[in-house]
This record gives sequence, structure tokens and C-alpha cells, in this order.
Amino acid sequence: MPYINESGGASAATRAPALELNEIQATVLRQRPAPYFGTHLLLRVDDARSGRAFLARLIPYVDSAAGWLNAANAWIAVGVSHAGLAALGLPQDSLQSFPEAFREGMAARARQLGDDGVNSPKNWDLPYGKGEIHIGLSAFSDSEEKRRQILGIARQQFEGFSGVSILAMQDFGAQPGDLNSLGYKDGIDQPPIEGSGVDPLPGQGRPIKAGEFILGYPGEAGVPLSMPQPDILGRNSTYVGFRKYQTRVGSFNRFLQAHGSTTQERELLAAKLVGRWRSGAPLVLAPNSDDPALGADPQRNNNFNYANDSRGRQAPRGCHIRRMNPRDAELTRLTDVNLHRLIRRGTTYGPPYDPNALSETDDEVPRGAIFLFISAKAMATIEFLQQEWINDGNFMGLGDERDPIIGLQEEGANFTIPREPVRHLVRGIETFNVLRGGEYFFMPSLSALKWIAKGFQ
Amino acid sequence: MQGQGQAQAQTQKAAAPAQDKAAQEKISELRALFADASQVGKTALENVLKELTSQVSEPPPPIESAGRVGARLGKISELTIVVPLVPGGAKRLRSFLQLLGGNLTPGAIKVGTLHDMRFVFLDNDTRLLFATSFDGDWDTYIDDFIALIPDYLDLMDSAWEGWPGIRSPGAKDYLVKHQITAEGWFVANPDLTLAETQRLKQVGKAVDEFLEKVG
Repeated sequence: MPYINESGGASAATRAPALELNEIQATVLRQRPAPYFGTHLLLRVDDARSGRAFLARLIPYVDSAAGWLNAANAWIAVGVSHAGLAALGLPQDSLQSFPEAFREGMAARARQLGDDGVNSPKNWDLPYGKGEIHIGLSAFSDSEEKRRQILGIARQQFEGFSGVSILAMQDFGAQPGDLNSLGYKDGIDQPPIEGSGVDPLPGQGRPIKAGEFILGYPGEAGVPLSMPQPDILGRNSTYVGFRKYQTRVGSFNRFLQAHGSTTQERELLAAKLVGRWRSGAPLVLAPNSDDPALGADPQRNNNFNYANDSRGRQAPRGCHIRRMNPRDAELTRLTDVNLHRLIRRGTTYGPPYDPNALSETDDEVPRGAIFLFISAKAMATIEFLQQEWINDGNFMGLGDERDPIIGLQEEGANFTIPREPVRHLVRGIETFNVLRGGEYFFMPSLSALKWIAKGFQ
Repeated sequence: MQGQGQAQAQTQKAAAPAQDKAAQEKISELRALFADASQVGKTALENVLKELTSQVSEPPPPIESAGRVGARLGKISELTIVVPLVPGGAKRLRSFLQLLGGNLTPGAIKVGTLHDMRFVFLDNDTRLLFATSFDGDWDTYIDDFIALIPDYLDLMDSAWEGWPGIRSPGAKDYLVKHQITAEGWFVANPDLTLAETQRLKQVGKAVDEFLEKVG
């Protein structure tokens, strides 16, 4: 299928191939709306034929990325786990052509992910970790009413099907100011994708080859990443790492109070952990106090690098956003940061952040974030990030220090805040976001969905 | 008197935990194999037998895997490759190594994780032993090397028979095919990555300066 756009003067070798937007699921390229309202549905397929029939009914409502700039205000994303592909009856040789990490499922990759201790799959919420999550449906919209509508449509599709069961349902979004469970504006930085037809926002960096995020296109090394077989299944599809975190708001607030005596001190400490203030204003551009106008402006709130902050005196070298995207920061080892980026769709669930929550009971209120991490090699990237940039500090010369927001902290963990004349070592940092479950999903193209629904024809 | 000693020994034997039993078995097996060794070897074994036996009863943790292949102790892994060389390959590689007098520091130091690296020509320049010790797992950063230093890798590895090129999808399999996992592996400071060593050096320097100021 000739997807190389050969119109125009440039040679095919230097032009980015035009993306087949009508094949790619909308969520891969479409940001969540603001405000955003949605629901995640986790389903089990008990009967292959029923499961495929359910998919067939759902397909008309699964949006593609075509026209993604003028997005319809509600859409559905569909992912299928390896266990789900097997349950739907995918032929064995096709099942075997998927990467090992995807075949094993996220629970079985606990060692590679460092999902140990409180984050261990042994402690996950049901239904996670049992190999029963076969299909993940996520409905996104920009209003409560539209959320109900699209959810109603999704649920209608399996009424009368005894072979598909709902294992879990989780509403998300609807947060005042769209803040996350720690009270922060999130989801600001995203990797720009070559050929998506949209110029990068300032600070996102140079466009990255589409093949790093969508199967079937050349990646950064000039060749497509390995794809499952047959071609119709893999092309224009991608992978999603789905991870549900419970936020220990009480623990976070107690920590701030223990290490700061005024609101100003506490807010600065919190900003030092994240790398941004609550408004989203980055520390590199606003080192001393929050700047809500800056935080609210997408043309400015991500337009920075670390060239003038090499020692981390503005944004600590181990802060969350600097770990998740080091940009031009000097790392201790040879790294191409563009190989380790993910499209992130964060979805906050539960009651809003409460600055007065201090108790251990507050830690257990069901409140947190479910992340969708999307890329053509999502499993490898998530496992890399967990091992190298989240649960370790070696890449930044920080020894064993871990990410203060999503790292799994050990007893007596520290966080370094570079300062003149002497750095400040904050002790007793705890695990503020606990992993409650997750799974690796395959996000099929529209054609792949139809191919599966039609019984692999 | 003799009966008492015998009873004591028997009680001790019965009370020995399973670990000691396994240790005894390992030692017995070693001694049995050394029956075929030279007299030099046999004598040496008998001389250290007591010390060895006590070490085996309380062994250190075993070495781990460095990922797909290779051994690891703590945070430091080893990679050992023995590979046939193409005709003329040894000459070309040697010439490259000699550009800097055999000292590869300027390039190797940029990788940031290499503790050491050696190129040893074997069997009249027909084979090469390439060995390195480095931080972390085998293939975590290989894609980064392919992206950032592909030509240095290909320049050196082009001497290797059948080398497909670092950008080839077969490159990782080639490395695995020629890599041999070490069965004995020692590093003096298994928790000292290169980055951590740098950090400690800086801290040490700062402390010395501070002491000088207050001293």
C-alpha cells in the first residue's frame, strides 16, 4: 500500500510518509478535551464469537484520527490485551508474533517494571493482574452529558451478549480546573509526531518519526519497528500501557507540612518535586513563585529547556518532569531522549485534591490517576523508564534516588534539592502514588478491528 | 573415649542443615574431579580444602544475569565476545586502535557506562576477544548507541566476520550469538556505577576543600 506521499518536489527518502489518519484510532493523536469527562470500561470476553460480534457493533463508534483537529467532542478508544486477542480467537501464529512483554501481560512483567512491595501485582485491585482484562474501552468527551451519551452507546452494544462481561468501570475527569489528584495541571508536554500535520508547540522538541508511535511507519532509525502479523493487524496500530495509580493525598500533604512551615515554603517544595507549579508554570521559567498566566498558556508553559539550569537549581535534576523528559539536560550516559518518549493521556479519577487532607484514611480515598501511555514500543519504553528514569537516579548522577511523584520509594528515601551554598537533602519521601493495577493493550487500527471482528478475514 | 567422640561427630552430622549438606556435596564432587588433575593441582586443592569448605557453607549471593546474555554482580555487568575476523580485518582494527596508541578513552568515556574495555587479537589475528564491563543490563541502551554512535560501532565491528551492520535488525542477534556469558565474575565495588563514582569524587573533593577552609 503506497503510503509515501510522493507529491511535491522532495524525494521520498526525505519526506515523512503521510499518516493514514482514517486508520489510526483518534486517541493516538487527539489530546483529551478541556474540560474532560470520561469512563474506562474493562471487559472480559467469555465467548470468542460474542466478543467479535461485540467489536463489530462497537466499530462504527470508534473514532479515527481523521479530522482530529476539529474533533467531535466525544469518542471511544479500544484496546485489546494479549489474553483478549487469544479469547477472541486470534490464530496462534499471529498471537506469537507479538513482543514478549505484551504476550506476558503487565502483571508478569513486575520484575522489569520494578512493581514490587506495595506496587506488586499481588496487591493490585481486582480485576487487575488475573489475566482476565481482555478489552479496554475508554470514552472521552468534553461534557458530562456527552460522556453519558457515549457511554450509553458503548453499553448498548453488548446488551444481549452473554459472552462479554464488564469487570470494572471507572469514571474520570470532571475535576475543577482539570487539576490532577495532587492538585496540579498535568498532561502539558507531549511528543510531536512527524507527519501528523500539526506544528509542534514551543518546547515540545523536534518532530519524532511517526513509526516510534504508530506501527508501520519508519521510526527514528529509518525503518519501521517490528509489527505483529499479518500486516492488516499491525499497520496503523499501536500499543498502550494502562496504569492505575492511587494517590496518597494525606501522605503528600503531611510531607509538605513536615518540611515547610509556611504555605509558600510548602508550595515551593511541592513545585520542586514536580518541576512545575500547580498552574503548570515550569520552574525553569518561574523559579520563585507561581505564574498562573504562564501556566495557562500552551504557547509558553512548555517553552523551555535546561541549558541555563544544568545544576538543577531551578528545576531539581531529579524532579518529575525533568526525569520524564530530560530534554537537553546533560545525562551521565549516552542517551537519545527522543527514543524514550510516550504519548500520555492522563485521566484523573475520584474526588478532587484536598489540601487539608492529612490522615491515613485520606490516603485510602479512591482518588488518583489512570494513565494511558501510547507508543509503537510502549512496553519497552515503559519498562526502560521504570528501570532507568523513575526507580533509579543514576542517569542524573543521583545514585539511588527515585522519582518523587511516581517512584516506588524505599524506607528512608531522599530527594535532593540543589541549592547555594549547599544542597538541601529532603528526607523521608514516601510513595505518593501507589500502583493499583495495569495492563498492556494493543490498540488496533480501524481495519485491524474490522479484520478481528470478521473472524480474521 | 572413642565411642564418645564418634557419637559427638554423629550428632553434629545429623544436626547439620541442608545448606551444609549441599556444600559438602559440592566439595566432594570437586575432589572427585581433581582425582584426574596434575599433582600440582591435587596438592593445591588439599592445601586450601579447609578454607574452601567454610566459604562454601556461607557463600556470597550468586552472580545474576545481565539480561539476554552476560553476567552481572550488583550493578555491574560483563560482556565477552569471541568472534572470527575477516581477512585484513585485524590489520584495519589494529590500525584504528593505534590511532590513539591503544587508548580508547576519548570515545569510550562518552558512553558513560563503560568501566573497562579490551580488544585482544587471538590465533594469529584470525579471532578477536572483545570484553567490557559496564553498568546495567545488556540491551537497555543499545537503541541509543545505534542512534548516536552507529559509525564507530560499525567501523570497529566491520572486522568481524558476518557483521550485518549496527542498524540491521540482525545486529542484536549477532552479538548474542558470539557472546559467551562468564561463569565467574568479580567486581570490587558492585554498587559503584560510573556516575556514582563521579559523584563520590566530587563529594570527596568538596569535603577536602571544606576541611581545608575550617582546618
